[in-house]
Amino acid sequence: MRKSHPVRRVVLTAAATVSGIVLLLSLKPASDPSSAQAAGGALPQGGAQAAAGTTVTGEAARTQYGAVQVRLTVRDGRITGAEAVQAPKGGRSDQITSMAVPRLNREAVAAQSAEIDAVSGATYTSAGYRQSLQSALDQVKAGGPGGGSGGAQGAARTVTGDVARTQYGPVQVRVTVSGGRIVRAEAVQAPKGGHSDEVTATAVPKLGQEAVAAQSADIDAVSGATYTSAGYRQSLQSALDRAGG
Amino acid sequence: MTTTLAGGRAARRQTMRRIRPRRSPAVPLLLALWAGAAGVLWLWWRNTPSIADDTGRILNAGRITGLLAGYLMALVVLQMARVPALERRVGSDRVARWHAMTGRYTLCLVLAHVFLTMWGYALQGGRSLGDIVGQTVDSVQQLPDMGKAALGTGLLVVIGLVSVGAVRRRLPYDLWYHVHLLTYAAVFLTFWHQISTGNDFAVEPAAKTFWYGLYGAVTALLLWYRVLTPLRLNLRHRMRVEAVIEETPGIVSVLIGGRRLHRMGAEAGQFFRWRFLAPGMRFSSHPYSLSAAPRPELLRITVKAIGDHSARLRELTPGTRVWAEGPYGALTAQRRSRGKVLLVAGGVGITPMRALFETLPGAAGDITLLYRANSTQDLALWDELARIAEERGARLMYAVNSPDGERPDISAERLREKVPDIEAHDVFLCGPPGFAQSVYEALRGAGVPARRIHHESFEM
Repeated sequence: MRKSHPVRRVVLTAAATVSGIVLLLSLKPASDPSSAQAAGGALPQGGAQAAAGTTVTGEAARTQYGAVQVRLTVRDGRITGAEAVQAPKGGRSDQITSMAVPRLNREAVAAQSAEIDAVSGATYTSAGYRQSLQSALDQVKAGGPGGGSGGAQGAARTVTGDVARTQYGPVQVRVTVSGGRIVRAEAVQAPKGGHSDEVTATAVPKLGQEAVAAQSADIDAVSGATYTSAGYRQSLQSALDRAGG
Repeated sequence: MTTTLAGGRAARRQTMRRIRPRRSPAVPLLLALWAGAAGVLWLWWRNTPSIADDTGRILNAGRITGLLAGYLMALVVLQMARVPALERRVGSDRVARWHAMTGRYTLCLVLAHVFLTMWGYALQGGRSLGDIVGQTVDSVQQLPDMGKAALGTGLLVVIGLVSVGAVRRRLPYDLWYHVHLLTYAAVFLTFWHQISTGNDFAVEPAAKTFWYGLYGAVTALLLWYRVLTPLRLNLRHRMRVEAVIEETPGIVSVLIGGRRLHRMGAEAGQFFRWRFLAPGMRFSSHPYSLSAAPRPELLRITVKAIGDHSARLRELTPGTRVWAEGPYGALTAQRRSRGKVLLVAGGVGITPMRALFETLPGAAGDITLLYRANSTQDLALWDELARIAEERGARLMYAVNSPDGERPDISAERLREKVPDIEAHDVFLCGPPGFAQSVYEALRGAGVPARRIHHESFEM
């Protein structure tokens, strides 16, 4: 029955907890150098380069954490842009995807083939990426060695809209137009992090479907995602303006 | 029926046992607790490649506190599951103190987790810290299972508030107890958001399985030991009040009859939680120690009528049905490591000491009982004690206030004088907190090592 010192105990426990957590946080690196580079390099790629060439989408590759699907922008027989239309999402997968996909995109453009290195910590995503990339390259080849325009989706082109700023982050829409019709709409950028991930994951696919169905920017907002919907419409309108209606 | 319950066969059997000290499993259990906490932190560590900025730091601090809170929450409930290893080996009193400490700490972690996470989300969404309330409302509306979690957290805060010492002392015990039962609802409500929004559970199926396992195991133990075990006990033994006897002014014994009561496994020094199915008493149970070794058809508890509940015990009528849970408590012969034993009782603390005095194995002269009371009239059960002392060749001493109200001298010197080889004794101590504390210090002063002073205290 030792004497108890409640105040001392409270102070010590609080101090130990706080310093433990601070220590743990400070031991983590500020960022993965590779992912920082990738983030810097990824943005321009989505814009100017992709807008001009032909796009070819590979088949979706299933991985343990979700599907990976790669779309290439091919111009004069060269891969000028690579991006993942689908990648594992939710929870930690968001982190892995945001770290690995930009790197894989750069690797694909640099290698001009599916022989790219796996990103460490993203083995499954890398494997899926390579698989889908290979299938996209196969399509490019099948469409004719000289130019991508003869491919299966050769007539399609992509147009990226302006970035629309919302309270939760930027929204940027890219539409794929084929034969004067919107065949696909997707968000190149959308609010990320925390609960925005949830909202984005539910709202963006719906908005994409709506855009294809409406063939215009006159689409309904998704409830619970008012800001994202508004930004989406805005960027979609600018993409459609650019595509010429 | 006489008040004397001495000399039963069960009691005699217990006196014949060999001295076999058993170590309390407290240390391995605490090590397991820390290992679990380390495992939870490792889970976070593994799933966090980098932290970019202050927002990341805040969010990750929120994740760490959340993971730890989720882990400890399961243990807080486990500590109240009445698992025999905890109740009988570590000791109900110590486990209750662990429970209170862990509970307070967990609640603090929960609040830190809510604040840090909402702050981080607010920063991420480009809001200011001031808009944290708006952020919380949004998150509760938009994220899965967050409505439940918010409700559960609210309950936890209420439970925490009524458990603060100053508030708790002012509330009726029953009210406090029933509010406390809401903990189960709160834990249930807060569980689901851990799984559905927890980053570490989304990516690590193994972590998710472990989490379900942890909570599932605790639920199973809870059902087994708090529901099924008491149900079986009471269906088997069918206890009823036989008689209520006033031992001294203010101290009553309740004799409880039933079937094969010696088969309940109760040892001297242990207690049951009693619920008397009489008007106004059926909704709360109270811990009272056995004051004699159980006989096949009779148990006895001896209680000081001070609180609401204990005062009502006098009005119990024979035939009232009794619901008991137990036996609990680790202040038993198991604690003993030496041949010689000194029992020190203060006031109604005589109850478990009386049972031990009769049943502790020992030759003549091995067992000594020191009984402190205000006056000789307050020495409850004295006749019985004197008879046991005579039969066993045990020493029996009392210390009461002098006629002018002066308190007896229970100092290290005095103890040494009365029990010359006191440092060779195991000491069992039971009494009001102030008394226990002063005797403890006197015993230490007289040279009794702390590990051989066995004490049970339900003070938080």
